[in-house]
Amino acid sequence: MPGVALETKLSHTAAIILQALQAGYVYGFSVMEATGLPSGTVYPALRRLERDGLIRSQWESQSVADAGQRPARKYYRITRSGQATLAASQKRYLLLTRLFPVPTQENA
Amino acid sequence: MTLRGLHVAILQGAALLVPPANRAEWLAEWRAELWYVNRRATAFCLGSFCDAFWLHRNSPAPITRRKFSLDSPVRCVMFLALLTSLSWLLAFGWPSHDVSPPSPARGAQDLAKVSAAGQPNELAPSVLVEPDQPQANRTPRRSSVIACNQPAQQRAGTSPQASENLPLACLAICILTLGILSSVRPLSLGEYPANRYAPAAPFRLLRWVFLTIKISLLLSAAICGSLVLGTIIQPIAPMAMFLGLYFGFRWALMDQRQRCPVCLRLLSNPTRIGDSSQSFLGWYGTELVCSQGHGLLYIPGTSTSWCRTQRWQYLDPTWSNLLP
Repeated sequence: MPGVALETKLSHTAAIILQALQAGYVYGFSVMEATGLPSGTVYPALRRLERDGLIRSQWESQSVADAGQRPARKYYRITRSGQATLAASQKRYLLLTRLFPVPTQENA
Repeated sequence: MTLRGLHVAILQGAALLVPPANRAEWLAEWRAELWYVNRRATAFCLGSFCDAFWLHRNSPAPITRRKFSLDSPVRCVMFLALLTSLSWLLAFGWPSHDVSPPSPARGAQDLAKVSAAGQPNELAPSVLVEPDQPQANRTPRRSSVIACNQPAQQRAGTSPQASENLPLACLAICILTLGILSSVRPLSLGEYPANRYAPAAPFRLLRWVFLTIKISLLLSAAICGSLVLGTIIQPIAPMAMFLGLYFGFRWALMDQRQRCPVCLRLLSNPTRIGDSSQSFLGWYGTELVCSQGHGLLYIPGTSTSWCRTQRWQYLDPTWSNLLP
């Protein structure tokens, strides 16, 4: 329900991770690198955000991974509820939008 | 082991914490992520434990039917009866663990069998000779004797008296256990105020009958079990009996508190209500429901002046249609 998501208050860490996803850092390790947060923080936060319906995960297709000669990655993308929550968080944490540069192709 | 192998081993170790349904995907994600990590990979892998713990705590329990449960009162009593029978059999029916062996003479455990030549002779018939018997009676007329290696004064009152004291000792340990248990935990079973939906008084007594049967069976099992242990390591028998009784009584009370007073089944669907930080004007605790719709049980999070202990509420019969 969008109404519920609007009322969701994110912690600072969760807001940073959501902002990183919004900025185009779409898998766990790239979020780690962008935010500087350890893996023990980022991955559980991603699970929480996914449980709350703010983000959605999807496995990369195996053919694309095989073409790149690398294992398939799990991508995260922000949902409509997540965008609404992020907008509310950006009002709360004013510097949030200035945190991340646009990711390069290899990070995205 | 290479460093890469160590990292994979760390991930596999952490994966054990992840619920089995999610484990393969979780491990695949972490292994894929590890492929991209080119520095501080060990720290990265150790972070997987936090993730695994989070999943372990937050994943819903798998909906599987428990193979063994004591939900039904009949099954509970049957299980306890089986346990008691087994311990009884081990204590009194097993030849090598016979705790009260039939003795042909007083102080049989102090008798040693010797032959006429001073060597044990198992094949020859035996005769009992005690040191305080008259000399004329001591002369063995067969090939071996069983001689007593302790004087009669020391032997007096060992096995027979111990057997006579056993019920008293058990009673004393029972009383001691109940005393200690009551000082550690409240023995109250909660409040069950009758309303117009409550069953008739004789039916309400059924739960007390059930509790009595449970405690009796547990009592027997604990005593017989401790006697069996006592035949292996004698000094631990009283402590084993105490611990058996303590945890037996404790379990019986805890089990009884979580049963419906009408059908005696275990209550289900525990639901947290309220918040401890907002308890000034509101109730908080856990609510359980009878799967047959007989009532609700409210267990307070903390004991207050207006809600000291758990309280049962009988529901009207229409509730049974709402529950599966």
